[in-house]
Amino acid sequence: MQTEADYYALFEAYQRGELAAGARANLEARLGAEPRLQQLYAEFGELTGTLAAYGERRRTRQTIADLHTAMLAAEATPVFEEKQAGGLSYSVNPRLSLSRTEQKLREFWSGHRATVGVAASVAILAVFSTLLGLEWWRAAKTQPSLYGYTVLRREVERIKQNQQALRRSINSSASISAAGPVNNGKFSGTGFALTAEGYIVTSSHVIQGADSLLIEGRDHQRYHAETVYSDVKHDLAILRIKDRKFSGFGRLPYTFKGGQADLGERVYTLGYPREDVVYGEGALSSRSGFNGDTAFYQVSIPVNPGNSGGPLLDGQGNLIGVVSGRQDDAQSAAFATKSSYLMRLVDSLKNRQPAQPYHLPRANQLAGAARSQQVKRLQDFVFVVKVYEQD
Amino acid sequence: MNTDSTTAALAADAQLIQAIRAGDERALSQLYRLHWPMVSHFVLQNSGSEDDARDVYQEGVMVFYEKVREGSLELSCQIKTYLYAVCRRLWLKRLTTKSRLHGVRLLDEEEYGPYLNTGAEEDLQEAEERDRRFATMSEALTHLGEPCRSLLEGFYLLEKSMLDLTAEHGYTNADTAKTQKYKCLTRLKKLFFASYKEA
Repeated sequence: MQTEADYYALFEAYQRGELAAGARANLEARLGAEPRLQQLYAEFGELTGTLAAYGERRRTRQTIADLHTAMLAAEATPVFEEKQAGGLSYSVNPRLSLSRTEQKLREFWSGHRATVGVAASVAILAVFSTLLGLEWWRAAKTQPSLYGYTVLRREVERIKQNQQALRRSINSSASISAAGPVNNGKFSGTGFALTAEGYIVTSSHVIQGADSLLIEGRDHQRYHAETVYSDVKHDLAILRIKDRKFSGFGRLPYTFKGGQADLGERVYTLGYPREDVVYGEGALSSRSGFNGDTAFYQVSIPVNPGNSGGPLLDGQGNLIGVVSGRQDDAQSAAFATKSSYLMRLVDSLKNRQPAQPYHLPRANQLAGAARSQQVKRLQDFVFVVKVYEQD
Repeated sequence: MNTDSTTAALAADAQLIQAIRAGDERALSQLYRLHWPMVSHFVLQNSGSEDDARDVYQEGVMVFYEKVREGSLELSCQIKTYLYAVCRRLWLKRLTTKSRLHGVRLLDEEEYGPYLNTGAEEDLQEAEERDRRFATMSEALTHLGEPCRSLLEGFYLLEKSMLDLTAEHGYTNADTAKTQKYKCLTRLKKLFFASYKEA
């Protein structure tokens, strides 16, 4: 009885042609007759064939890997195109010559460009959202506490458009200023007459940093003015008109209240938040100002930039304060310096031998008149204070 | 591309194939160097690395080489186009498995346009079948254990003579070694066919 291994030996000898003629004929006959043996032979063939092919494949793989290494080596040390075997002539594809580093970089880029793109977008987003977030946080968090108090001097640049439209008419009616182009003020506020001789009151923050000042009345009369005194703590300033031609305002219709006004008193103001005079009224809502400052009243009058320095009067036409500012985070909370502080300031100035004496008005002509009548009289004594800063 | 240059290129291809079939290693080397830039450029363009390009190209050249050696290559286009088609196919396959994206789109060079009817598809399927067979064989050899594995590998894969193997494995004579080899073969047969047929 022959084992499978014996048959294999037989098959191998047969394939190599090592069998004697008789044995070969015997085997061939058996292969023809016995399907069992036939199958065994087929399996043997397939097995050894696969083994041989597998070996061949491994050698080929090695050969090709060697080719690649050889090619890279040849690239590294540039040699001239060698004469090709078998008379083959072939044009070699033009190849970009890249440095080693550049090749690495290119590989990296082509492999990772999607990732790099995403990372870059994320970075940009993060940077911008951080910046915006900080900006937002600052705006939301710090502003109320630091800047809750807004002074009401008006930035004229912001409404340049309006002013440019108005400039021509201003020029034509201006009697005092030179004929040349008018330099519009950088800031403006409101001021009102203190005496008939040309003293004017406004807020000190209005004239802060002023190079020159211009006072302009309702009839577009313009006067040059100079600062006489500025009290930053109480936000008060006294100006004097220095034009020679100036002949005085005429009798002032209002008087200045020396004492405190009462809570709930109906009060009103006139000012120049726009090019035209604006009336605003409300009530005296507190006898102290921002953060409990007792030099100020709190009034419920809607005020806007440009209202600063405006007069605050009670129903009888007594001047009780000077509009100074407002609180941003509170509904219509405006602040005005108490007139008693203004009086004290005037008293102290009287003793300094001023260029012109202070003759404060003594008679109130507004008491008892209707509000509209009061305003009509008053508006001739309320002015725009234009501030020019040195460039 | 005009007809003259195509004809010339086909003639050069035919010469090259003949030389490779004859076993001229320099011809294979020349072919290898000639088309490497094309394939490496293609793979690099399509988010592959230099190593990917090498693997794909070597696989592609292998398919081509085996077909040539068998003499069963039926080339209906230039070698360049054929290799491009094979490598394109291979890279597409790797890219799909790697990225698990179904909509992988490749940037193609216009120059190698008619790669769709090169017969590369069938050749590749054949090569894959062969790969599977070899993989099974490799696994079977691993499971066979020593000394059968090194004996069979030495004889069939490395083509060593029976005498060398006798000396290497310390058999008393060549006949013992042979008997051992046949026994090993019967075991390998069981392992190989068991996993190959079932797969």
